Amino acid sequence: MKARSVRLREAHKGSGSASHCSILWDLDGRHLVTASASDPSVSIHDVSQPSKPAKVLQHHRDGVTALALNANSSSLATGSIDHSVKLYSFPDGEFQSNVTRFTLPIRSLAFNKSASLLAAAGDDDGIKLIATLDSSISKVLKGHKGSVTGLAFDPTNEFLASVDAFGTVIYWELSSGKAVHTLKAIAPNCDAETSLLNVVSWSPDGETLAVPGLRNDVVMYDRDTAEKLFTLKGDHERPVCFLSWSPNGKYIATSALDKQVLIWDVDLRQDIERQKFDERICCLSWKPNGNALAVIDVMGKFGSWEPAVPSCMKSPTDGAPSLQAKNANGLFSFDEDDEKPSTSGSLDDAIEESHGESAPLSRKRLRKHSVYDDNSTEDSDGEEGLMCQIESRKRSSIKCQEGVRGAKEECVSSSKCAKSKMQEAFQPGSTPAQTGKRRFLAYNMLGSITTIENEGYSHIEVDFHDTGRGPRVSSMTDYFGFTMASLNENGSVFANPCKGEKNMSTLMYRPFSSWASNSEWSMRLEGEEVKVVALGTGWVAAVTSFNFLRIFTEGGLQRHVLCLNGPVVTALGFNNLLAVVTHASDCLPSGDQMLEVKVFDISEGTQPVGCHLPLTPCSYLTWFGFSEEGQLSAYDSKGVLRVFSNQYGGSWLPVFSASKARKSEDENYWIVGLNASKLFCIICKSPESFPSVMPKPVLTLLSLSFPLASSDLGADDLENEFIMSNLHLSQIQKKIEEFSAAGLNTTELDDEAFNTEAAIDRCILRLIANCCNSDKLVRATELVKLLSLEKSVKGAIKLVTALKLPMLAERFNSILEERLFNESKGTAAAPSLATNGTITNNTLLLRASPAPEITKVVETASASSSPTLPQSHFSMQEKVEKASNMVGGMEPCKDPDGENEKIVFNPMKFHQPINPFAKQSNDQEKAQERRRRDVETCKDASKGNPKEGVDQVLPKVTSGGISNDGSSQRQSHRPVNPFAKASSNHEKSSLLDSIKKMKKADHEKNEKVNNKKARS
Amino acid sequence: MAGQSNPDLSVFSAPEVEFLAEDEMVEIVPNIRMEALNMICGDFGPFFPQIASKVPLWLAVALKKRGKCTIRTPEWMSVERLTQVLEAERESPREFQPLPFHYVEISRLLFDRAHDDIPDLYMVRSLIEDIRDVRFHKVETGLETISGRTHAVKLKNLSAMEVNIVRPFMVRALQAFYRHDSPQMIQQPRTMGSRQPQVVDRGPRRDLRPR
Repeated sequence: MKARSVRLREAHKGSGSASHCSILWDLDGRHLVTASASDPSVSIHDVSQPSKPAKVLQHHRDGVTALALNANSSSLATGSIDHSVKLYSFPDGEFQSNVTRFTLPIRSLAFNKSASLLAAAGDDDGIKLIATLDSSISKVLKGHKGSVTGLAFDPTNEFLASVDAFGTVIYWELSSGKAVHTLKAIAPNCDAETSLLNVVSWSPDGETLAVPGLRNDVVMYDRDTAEKLFTLKGDHERPVCFLSWSPNGKYIATSALDKQVLIWDVDLRQDIERQKFDERICCLSWKPNGNALAVIDVMGKFGSWEPAVPSCMKSPTDGAPSLQAKNANGLFSFDEDDEKPSTSGSLDDAIEESHGESAPLSRKRLRKHSVYDDNSTEDSDGEEGLMCQIESRKRSSIKCQEGVRGAKEECVSSSKCAKSKMQEAFQPGSTPAQTGKRRFLAYNMLGSITTIENEGYSHIEVDFHDTGRGPRVSSMTDYFGFTMASLNENGSVFANPCKGEKNMSTLMYRPFSSWASNSEWSMRLEGEEVKVVALGTGWVAAVTSFNFLRIFTEGGLQRHVLCLNGPVVTALGFNNLLAVVTHASDCLPSGDQMLEVKVFDISEGTQPVGCHLPLTPCSYLTWFGFSEEGQLSAYDSKGVLRVFSNQYGGSWLPVFSASKARKSEDENYWIVGLNASKLFCIICKSPESFPSVMPKPVLTLLSLSFPLASSDLGADDLENEFIMSNLHLSQIQKKIEEFSAAGLNTTELDDEAFNTEAAIDRCILRLIANCCNSDKLVRATELVKLLSLEKSVKGAIKLVTALKLPMLAERFNSILEERLFNESKGTAAAPSLATNGTITNNTLLLRASPAPEITKVVETASASSSPTLPQSHFSMQEKVEKASNMVGGMEPCKDPDGENEKIVFNPMKFHQPINPFAKQSNDQEKAQERRRRDVETCKDASKGNPKEGVDQVLPKVTSGGISNDGSSQRQSHRPVNPFAKASSNHEKSSLLDSIKKMKKADHEKNEKVNNKKARS
Repeated sequence: MAGQSNPDLSVFSAPEVEFLAEDEMVEIVPNIRMEALNMICGDFGPFFPQIASKVPLWLAVALKKRGKCTIRTPEWMSVERLTQVLEAERESPREFQPLPFHYVEISRLLFDRAHDDIPDLYMVRSLIEDIRDVRFHKVETGLETISGRTHAVKLKNLSAMEVNIVRPFMVRALQAFYRHDSPQMIQQPRTMGSRQPQVVDRGPRRDLRPR
């Protein structure tokens, strides 16, 4: 009996004081119906979609005290303090009729199994039996002295048990309408407290009636004799206030004033599970098809205790009498059932302390119950309990044959569709309605639309996150009851569902600013209901219940009406793109939603994407949108974020998993948006799965990561980065294609693509280092082939040389050669080989570059620091000098000794092999590009290795370090032969590294400009 | 306590200590989009609406004053944490609970400038005041134990404001002890070793202070 906490969430806002609340499961366990005596509304919660707003039925004028569903969950009856009993269809909650009226508040309702009768009772004198067919009162049962608080039809439709506030239980015979047994004051007297109602409950087989006892226990009474059979006494410290049998009758759940809920094994008469709550639980309901118990407390908070019965034990639904068995129409009767002396029960009860003694008595009277009574006498062991069940099931199956055929069929069909349900339409970024609380109709990266209902109409407010830039929008009083909204920079669109004939579905558009006055417009849809709205630049779209996609212009012109393939799930606009998610087909039996997504380009009138939308098994879509770069993304209830990519002809990639990212168990991520590398979400603490309007939610950034398998390499971050960058690259390339097809300037995108390529190369180099360190040489070779820049390949060669893997270096070298060969064949025309072209260009330019200047430059670099140096007057020059002085400052090179120091110092540095190479390859490239620009600087000279230039300078330079440096650099630019001299390479690269690091910042500034030039 | 009432006795005035505290980092939630701010003390931002970022307190207060952000209450300023701290403070009469060095100043600044951003303002405020009082009381009782034999006082987890108030008093108290005991003190350390010169040095320097 370990304590697990059941999380409760608010369904009804009470007055703050305790009031009786009710909760019910429907037949297929998909909906929960809740009501509170302090709230006139009845809520129907969809359990499969907790984020969806509960359906609220507001027909009563005062608190609802009683709920009842008929056996096949097709109609719902509610009784209220406002004296009326109302009937609704279920689960859609359509009001059907006022069944009856009392002169005083209703306290209890019950349907019989065939739903032909509805019993209603309350503070009035008499229990009314109402024929549901025509709402006529078939009988009034009078006999209770106090208000009747509990009613229960016997499953075989023979008796009605009722209990009043004084604790008196009466068995009524339905056929005659007479009280057959009256058991006085057997239940606690709860007349004093209105929030406390006595209850009675028949076991599912109808053999026992459970009544809360006077000694904080539950007393079982025999069906026919009304004799006390046994009691369930245990850990309740205060009187039991509610009880409920599990569907198979093996367990019973009880709630008491001590705020505990206990689950009992009825056969063992022992409590097997318990749960303590903050408030008194005033109603319990077992899920008809699962191991769950719904609870609601007196403050109107409800929750589901799952699994209620420990999983090691038999499920509470296992062996439940089939529904058909109980679908009797009130005609069954047992031979011994009638004419029991009505007083005997109460007398027995008064005398008997121990329930065991009652058994022989009942056996005398009843042949039929012998098995059961035996069982109860000898503190049953499991086997006998089972026997008993088999017996009762046998009986019920006999009954079943007599049962009404029609009802049977109905049940079968309803249970078939119970399995899984197609997800209903939702608006991305909306939160469910909560009574008395403001909620989001729309929340995106731009702003939010919130609404609060207040006495029949709502107040809608539009807020932008960026208060500095967004337009100020006045709040609006909404008489339509909008439940859907969408928002972008230019305006907002609203829609309401249709509520009956008078209240048609309306679509309304409000621009935030317009040159014309009164440019707000609205459309009414007759007989059609708006399901989802979306908004883009210059257009408004609404998807309706007829599966129509209606497209309007910003001014309200009806542009297109298109048919969609199935019921809509959601839709979203982004600039000129509209994405619509629809159901492709009914759900799979496993519960998987079958969704498909279509993207429409409204301005072009094309449909660029149409594909299936994958979801995690058994999940549903909870968020759908575009990333800031315009990539389609979807988030499902299992916390997986997918992004649409053009790789492999259009596919969805899982880029985030909440279960992996979650730091603690009780965090829920409510997605708002994403960009290329980050996910924006609001973190909600469980049990909340969505944010509330106040306090203003704060966005949290989470990084995207692929659900990679844990690799033997141990560099998951790098691998993730590698795939992620590749995804970006493919997205950028796609854009470049689009842009160039449209004849637009792609320079910026080219730059971006180039940077991404460089980033990928850096990442690959690090991966290669990792591979080499963990001895995965084949993988390293594969990685080298993926490098996009030639320099990176060279860097890789240096890397493996440094790591003392000559064999690998050889291989890399041959890869490089092959590559150069291919490139020379392909010539510089191919855009992918642009780097090669650049290099050749550079060489030419270098040759042309004036030697004297380079001499100067090298002099500065070697820190001769002669102030008389004739500087040329490039704008960059001064800066450069500073930079070189900085070099001087860092590395002592004021005198020739400095050079030596450098050489000594640098090889040490070199042994951090991973990063420097990546940087270096980059830097070299930048340097060359710079040279092309003809902004000749000493940085370039010292680092960029002016090939010919350095050669000329060499004689002047006294230090061996520089000469070495220059020559080796030169070699590195002739890629075929240099590797024989690996050692000189070392020195060079290390020296260069240190200098380059100093200047990197400066480089980056110029990089973009250079790139542009290089590309154009 | 003497030092609390007389600001002249402190090394820094309270506003000065507050000024020092303004360099502490806090989290803000801007409601505007803004480029990064390049300050002498560092670069902050760029800022995006509704996305939290860390800035020094002075910047947070400046932005808050212009209605450009809300300041997120530091984690230690929750009712829950403060209650724990207060209880612990009360339970252990000789130890101080670890709180941010500038807790008095930060909380004061936030109460003054960002009171609408603090949930349970009243509660937090009274808790912090309680904690402060308890700690000052502890300091006072601790000071009572200073005697002529005291060479040093070790106070762990003392906050800036507390130190600021205690320091001058303590130093002067010790000085006074030294001065009164000087014949002995001078005699003893001379035989013992190197500690004495410092004491002698300290005396005259303090005398320069206007009193």
